[in-house]
Amino acid sequence: MSVVGKQLNPVQSNPAAAAASSSAAAVAPGSSNSNSSSSESNGANAAAGAAAGIGISIGIGAGDVKRKEESNVTPEDVLRLNKITDDYLCSANANVFEIDFTRFKIRDLESGAVLFEIAKPPSEQFPDGLSVEDTMLAAAEDLSLDDTADPNAGRYVRYQFTPAFLNLKTVGATVEFTVGSQPVNNFRMIERHFFRDRLLKTFDFEFGYCIPHSKNTCEHIYEFPNLPPDLVAEMISSPFETRSDSFYFVENRLVMHNKADYAYDGGKPT
Amino acid sequence: MGFLTVLKKMRQKEKEMRILLLGLDNAGKTTILKRFNGEPIDSISPTLGFNIKTLEHNGYTLNMWDVGGQKSLRSYWRNYFECTDGLVWVVDSADRMRMESCKEEMQVLLQEERLAGATLLVLCNKQDLPGALSSNEIKEILCLDDISTHHWLVAGVSAVTGEKLLSSMDWLIDDIAKRIFTLD
Repeated sequence: MSVVGKQLNPVQSNPAAAAASSSAAAVAPGSSNSNSSSSESNGANAAAGAAAGIGISIGIGAGDVKRKEESNVTPEDVLRLNKITDDYLCSANANVFEIDFTRFKIRDLESGAVLFEIAKPPSEQFPDGLSVEDTMLAAAEDLSLDDTADPNAGRYVRYQFTPAFLNLKTVGATVEFTVGSQPVNNFRMIERHFFRDRLLKTFDFEFGYCIPHSKNTCEHIYEFPNLPPDLVAEMISSPFETRSDSFYFVENRLVMHNKADYAYDGGKPT
Repeated sequence: MGFLTVLKKMRQKEKEMRILLLGLDNAGKTTILKRFNGEPIDSISPTLGFNIKTLEHNGYTLNMWDVGGQKSLRSYWRNYFECTDGLVWVVDSADRMRMESCKEEMQVLLQEERLAGATLLVLCNKQDLPGALSSNEIKEILCLDDISTHHWLVAGVSAVTGEKLLSSMDWLIDDIAKRIFTLD
């Protein structure tokens, strides 16, 4: 399983989109429009940023995971979580349906610009010769990773955006995935986004049935929730304290758990 | 209050619609979906599974499902019928050779119980191509006038130029909204 990739399109800069609006939010591939954000305040976004670019880099890695055995975690359980989990709630081996994420993409609907895209090169999808680990390591070497020490890196994505990202209004987040030789029933994704212990967004979507050996895509187009300007400023000044858990269930059984974290302070000189 | 009522009330609150795009392979389902959502349509390959878009449109949350139309995939279509509010049947108007099988596949769907409540929108795509049949001609070939079981509309569209695409979709959404969200 996993999130592997190679940076295809290192995110073009888009001052037009950056100049636009006052809304803000944390997003990631696979986020959606079921917006249960608790925030309601509106107002000018202080964190305009120099608009040098939206996102700048991403770390994706590989790794094997040794974690708990079969879990009995239910969708209801994860919907009740009030913070990011400390641990993965299922083992990497739980992915018995060979569900494999092959692309993540984020675009800005206003300008049409693709802000972020990573994909497994086609030759590495459905690999027959190379082991998945080799493929992942090869891909990882193309990126400058700062997370190589993490044994769970294959289930974890790090996003670095500029503050301008938080100015976007309408965003489309696409995931592409393949499934193995077995049909998949009641495939459901639940994603929870937090800044520290504050829930920014819950996303709950039922893909339902997936055809054996199919390649599928899902794009969620949604408006950014409005976040108070002081929260936005805090998110920018606290890189990687915005985090998400993505849980994938098949017939109410947890088969995958991925994590991501986000920084919005990109573009600063280091 | 029956289960169905409860369900409908729930959906009324969420204002959510499920729209299923089907049709023979190469009809242009994915291109229509992308065009409708403002995505580039220059590099589209055959769909070997599904493409989903969820979006807000005119105050509704639309869940649009485009499922591959290749012959080997058609037996899987029935896995996507449940809870469908609108069926978009996409026709390649220039594919005269396969009009008959296009008709047969559509008629199978119209007999499907789980699609009984769905509004039908027939999109005669590729109107920009020379030799494309008009929507009137396709209406005759598909015997649309014989349909009494579904609300339906036929429209000639082009996913490439965008011609009539939005207005047809708006008709579909309006028709569904009238049926689903005004029961009380």
